[in-house]
Amino acid sequence: MSAQALNEKDYFTDLSVLLDPYAYFEAMREQGPVCPLPNHEGALVITGFAEAIEVLRNHKDFSSLNSTVGAGFPLPFKPEGNDITALMEANRDKYMGGDLLVALDGEKHSALRSVMNRLLTPTRLKANQEFMVEYAEQLVQEAVAKGGCELVNEIATPFVTLVIADLLGVPAEDREKFREVIDNAPPPGNMNNEEMPTEMSVLVFLGTFFYEYLVDRKENPREDVLSQLAHAKYPDGSDADLLDMVKMATFMFAAGQDTSAKLLGNAMRYIVDVPGLQEQLRADYSLLTPFLEEVLRLEGSTKITSRLACRDTKIGDIDVPAGTQVLISLAAANRDPRRWENPNQFQLHRPRIMEHLAFGRGVHTCAGAPLARAEVKVILERFFENTSHIDLNPEKHGTAGNRKLEFEPSFIIRGLANLQVDLTPA
Amino acid sequence: MTSIIVTTRESESRTLELEPESTLMQLICDAGMDELLALCGGVCSCGTCHVYVDDEFLPLLPPADEDEDLILQESPARQPNSRLSCQIRLTESLQGLRVTIAPES
Repeated sequence: MSAQALNEKDYFTDLSVLLDPYAYFEAMREQGPVCPLPNHEGALVITGFAEAIEVLRNHKDFSSLNSTVGAGFPLPFKPEGNDITALMEANRDKYMGGDLLVALDGEKHSALRSVMNRLLTPTRLKANQEFMVEYAEQLVQEAVAKGGCELVNEIATPFVTLVIADLLGVPAEDREKFREVIDNAPPPGNMNNEEMPTEMSVLVFLGTFFYEYLVDRKENPREDVLSQLAHAKYPDGSDADLLDMVKMATFMFAAGQDTSAKLLGNAMRYIVDVPGLQEQLRADYSLLTPFLEEVLRLEGSTKITSRLACRDTKIGDIDVPAGTQVLISLAAANRDPRRWENPNQFQLHRPRIMEHLAFGRGVHTCAGAPLARAEVKVILERFFENTSHIDLNPEKHGTAGNRKLEFEPSFIIRGLANLQVDLTPA
Repeated sequence: MTSIIVTTRESESRTLELEPESTLMQLICDAGMDELLALCGGVCSCGTCHVYVDDEFLPLLPPADEDEDLILQESPARQPNSRLSCQIRLTESLQGLRVTIAPES
């Protein structure tokens, strides 16, 4: 595919870009670390590492309002003047998911984020570890007994769903219902639904449950995250709004699903296809930490995020007028040759690997990052313990160097729709 | 002037003016010392704002809580004087505090 052809494609709807978003972003990079986004007049795309960090950290001039719908979603208002903050807020309700934590700005975001920050603490995650390990062991043993499994839907999705359910304190009897609804839901940033790329019906379904839980926990507090939410306070000491807390619980539940589940699929591809890597990791589980960071850099499960300039500003030396939509390619920033040597190559011990942008940067940095890391490491260890070899099924996926893979049709998520693995028992 | 002294991994020292109520992590980041990554933004969840505190100042700091201890446990670079700078709230009593940014782990 020539660079010219790629330059004409629409990132948000072209399914060929989905297969290899990296080639698409390399074609953009040839025009500079910040360049016009094809087919979306006035919008910009960032492929540079330093430029991406600059915008992610500049939450004064850039709003997250368009982060769920994407920078290609036309503004539902006409930007006027050098500061459109008030206009944006007046139109927030026209953005699907515009009231979710990920899309909020300023003080409202800080207040809710301060509640969120107290939920996924290291001690909470440690308390959750036992369930995580036991459940992973059970899923992996069942899969090994069958000689293989479809990793993404049979293992990864139920695993992450029930882990977050346990962590929040969702009653066991409701967990299966949640799983069914989430299993059947489209991914956020769905490329097959231009009108409504990020569907809210799942969140609405989950929201009704979470409302009841929080009302109950208000009266009958327990030692769980739901009780913490029911009794949460904002930094100014006032009681958190119950509906805000329902939205947060729902969002936490939904947000970690696709990203964490897809990360396991992406990691497994590297384990199988990088020569010698599987043996190396089996011999020393401590290598799972640098391994996972390198997978996050090369194939993190969030390809892009979006921002909207709320006042006249700059990115580097480039003038950016208020109302400019900016697509930040986390995937491309993580392969920026100005920052990473041999950027497209898998290397187990990269210096300063933790600086990758797979979880974003700045005030919206993924709050679930420690959970996602723990989940993937725990289940990979279980796979290694219970098998002597893992391979991708050649009938379904071809052979190394000639793989046939299907990706989830999302402009946000980078992840496999399915991954059939063959498991040789230990 | 109330100041603290921060030494980088390359053994270069800088004197920063202490801002009460800020955290040590915020102060170091605001001074543009990029090698202190502080990726999680100061919520005690990533361990990338790890510093060594000069021994004489350790008794002036409240001890690390369980969360901070759990994060530090995961660092191979942990020493008895290890702290996460996002958990150190600056007060006038910390005048002259000296810390060194811990190696990347």
